[in-house]
Amino acid sequence: MHSFASLTVSDLWIERAERDLCKGLSFSVQSGDVVRILGENGAGKSSLLKVIVGILSPLQGQIVYSGEDVTVDRRFLQQDVIYLGHSSGIKPQLTVIENLRWYCPDASPSALHEVLESLELIDHIDVPVKKLSAGQARRVALSRLWLGKKTLWLLDEPFASLDVRGVELLEACIRQHASVGGLVLLTTHQDLPSLSTRDVALLS
Amino acid sequence: MTYFSFVRAEFLVLWRRKQDVLNALLFFVIVVVLFPIGIDSSSEFLTPAASGIIWCATVLAVLMAVDSLFKEDYRDGSLEQLVVCGLSLPLLILLKVIAQWLAVILPLLVIMPLLGEMLYLSSASLWALMVTLLVGSPSLFFMGVIGAALTVSIKQGAILVMLLILPFYLPVIIFSTLAVKAAQAGLPYSGFLAMLLAMSLLSLVLSPFMTAIAVKASVN
Repeated sequence: MHSFASLTVSDLWIERAERDLCKGLSFSVQSGDVVRILGENGAGKSSLLKVIVGILSPLQGQIVYSGEDVTVDRRFLQQDVIYLGHSSGIKPQLTVIENLRWYCPDASPSALHEVLESLELIDHIDVPVKKLSAGQARRVALSRLWLGKKTLWLLDEPFASLDVRGVELLEACIRQHASVGGLVLLTTHQDLPSLSTRDVALLS
Repeated sequence: MTYFSFVRAEFLVLWRRKQDVLNALLFFVIVVVLFPIGIDSSSEFLTPAASGIIWCATVLAVLMAVDSLFKEDYRDGSLEQLVVCGLSLPLLILLKVIAQWLAVILPLLVIMPLLGEMLYLSSASLWALMVTLLVGSPSLFFMGVIGAALTVSIKQGAILVMLLILPFYLPVIIFSTLAVKAAQAGLPYSGFLAMLLAMSLLSLVLSPFMTAIAVKASVN
């Protein structure tokens, strides 16, 4: 069970390539919420996640995570977040298990084994990620969600490259995370009927 | 992610990408070997020129090595993860540079006696040369990574790194070659070593913070 967490974004403006994005976006989410960020291509969905996690700085606005103003210094939020961007962040030269030990060094061997089995990667445990398919590599990246004990998940197009089974597994994982007090923000263009999501729409 | 798991992954990646390190070493050896063949193989030319030849080759090999330091991480997204993992980015960069320095400079020191023999260096001069490499080369890496981080998102950034960083390498080359020349003349050279050490320590303190700023600018 995660401790109570909340994320409040107020009057957020983002500038990318001399374009204003989000334009005064405000929303508030809390433990148990699964939030889908909607918008056309280029509306600023990925930029919004990057701003929240601290890769980008906002032009204007405030970000408060669990009562702490993290607009300037995101370290408090970064201690409690898993961010998965367009690039998986997985090192192709390392094997599946080496990548997981890199990101989740505290995970027990049995936990690693269990996650890899549920993600159907157990037969590829010692295979370098560069030899896996794009979908399998994506599963390796997503396995951090099962193993990392962080409250806030920021997922940028997490369903990309996944097959039907992979989508089902990830949806179940997100449901489980929300049910124990986790907080999920994700960008996707696909409908998620099995997840009860709140939507935040970005206007172009 | 912890600092320990990061260092372990760095060494594993270096081991799996040993071709990159070997390329830098091979480049170093080729440059050193070509000098006697191309100009003059007599001891009258090679002995006084040895320190300059070795240090110029070292600078080129280091530039090759640092140019690729962040490229792969940038491509696979792990550089982004380092920025948001909640650990100190300057400290992660410091650890990364130390790992790269060990991977490049240690093998270089191992083959140095062979190259010293080829360049007619006396054992005292060879010792001085190896000490200058040990003491001076960290500054090459620490200054080089700033340029590498600034140009990581640029496709053909290698030339830009050279233009940006090479002027800062000149004092290191000058003090190193002077130290070896002093050793060859039987003069004390600890003052030159102190200067090299000072440059390495200064770059060790400043570079991780400057590189972290450059990395953050590059990933966004």
